Amino acid sequence: MRRSPIVIAGTLAGLFGVLGFHTSPAKLNLGTVGTAGSSPTTTSPSPSTTSPPTTTSPPPTTTVPSTTPPTTATSSRAAKSKTGNSTTSTAARTTTTTTRTTTTTVAPTTTTTAASSAARTATGPLVNYNFGVLSVTVTLTGTKIAKVTIGTLDDGGNFRSQSIDQMAIPQLEQQALQAQSASIQGVSGASYTSAGFELSLQDALKTLGFK
Amino acid sequence: MGTVVTFDIYDDEGIDPDTLLPFLAKAVATLHRVDKVFSTWKPDSPLSRLRRGEIALGEAPVDVTEVLENCKGAKELSGGWFDPWRLPGGVDPSGYVKGWAAQQALEDLVGSEVGGAMVNAAGDIASFGGPTSESPFRIGIVNPSSPTSLACTVELRGAIATSGAYERGEHLFNPFTDRYETAFASASVTGPDLGLADALATALVVGGEQVLSLIEGVYDYEAMVIGHEGAMKWTTEFPFAN
Repeated sequence: MRRSPIVIAGTLAGLFGVLGFHTSPAKLNLGTVGTAGSSPTTTSPSPSTTSPPTTTSPPPTTTVPSTTPPTTATSSRAAKSKTGNSTTSTAARTTTTTTRTTTTTVAPTTTTTAASSAARTATGPLVNYNFGVLSVTVTLTGTKIAKVTIGTLDDGGNFRSQSIDQMAIPQLEQQALQAQSASIQGVSGASYTSAGFELSLQDALKTLGFK
Repeated sequence: MGTVVTFDIYDDEGIDPDTLLPFLAKAVATLHRVDKVFSTWKPDSPLSRLRRGEIALGEAPVDVTEVLENCKGAKELSGGWFDPWRLPGGVDPSGYVKGWAAQQALEDLVGSEVGGAMVNAAGDIASFGGPTSESPFRIGIVNPSSPTSLACTVELRGAIATSGAYERGEHLFNPFTDRYETAFASASVTGPDLGLADALATALVVGGEQVLSLIEGVYDYEAMVIGHEGAMKWTTEFPFAN
């Protein structure tokens, strides 16, 4: 059964897409999270619970056959037995609140600390959202999400970005915790920074073999 | 638009990425094409040029005509509460386009014959199938007064759009008072098409109970609102999950 997450991200300003492959029923291959979650997306991190505490995600391997505009895709299928499939590229921000130019961020810096009962932490890739760049860090204790925090946040330092971040990000952190408790496949709501947050969060969770 | 769109693909038999990728590439290309045509942020987009009066509707890509026709229909169904022509700055169908784009992208995936797919445009979701062949997608609706929690869960068949001012401040425009104001904290609309659901949700959060009554009469569309004080109301067939 193939269950490889694939991240697709466009480089054009505006819309870009992210893909999760799901097969059902949910099965997880990581010993320490054997029953985690009801949502069936998963990667297959190393089943060894005594593996060294740090692994690095594999490099991107595939490019999607797309015409215009430039679109890149990364398949992690070839690396399905390894931990971490974090890949991202970013869309140019279309808002005018900061003056920084957009850069493509590929951040294969995910680390996993594996131990059967100890807390394990993974950080998702840097993701552009409307007002800056963020990454999300998740800590699992056993099969439960213990903590979700913003690992990196660069909002360009401008006031409007900061005020939005301060308002929205703590809410989003809690939202992630809540969503875990219900057997749902998605969340509908008015959103702003949530997309970038979710993108990075999803990847961090996949790295941990969760979801 | 600067929106992230997430694709979630499910199949009981497993998924072959090589088979799916061409369909996915098409869906992503669709999103980019829509953004290129309809962006109000890009000064050179056909829509921006139309707004400035530099081109006529007939000179814009045919998608623009289709979208504006659909907006006209949504305006009528909503009793005028969804009205892209009454927005400050000229005609702006953005309240319809995001959902429409996600719906178009979803349709690009139908040919892949996977069991279930969701295209989630930052909280507005188009879907077919479910997570398994025997179950529908379950979608949580954010509690607007406490976005740290979910207000309820729905069993999704088709699309759901939610509008509200709780994350962006008062950005929803009332076409009858020319002010930015909302009647409800949050409005969710389900139905077969995400474009129309998106437009109706926008109309509902601004227009209030009279729009809820109108949606009661729209075939296959259902709605649920959460008031500023937290009270919930819904149409008779709104698909709450148990």
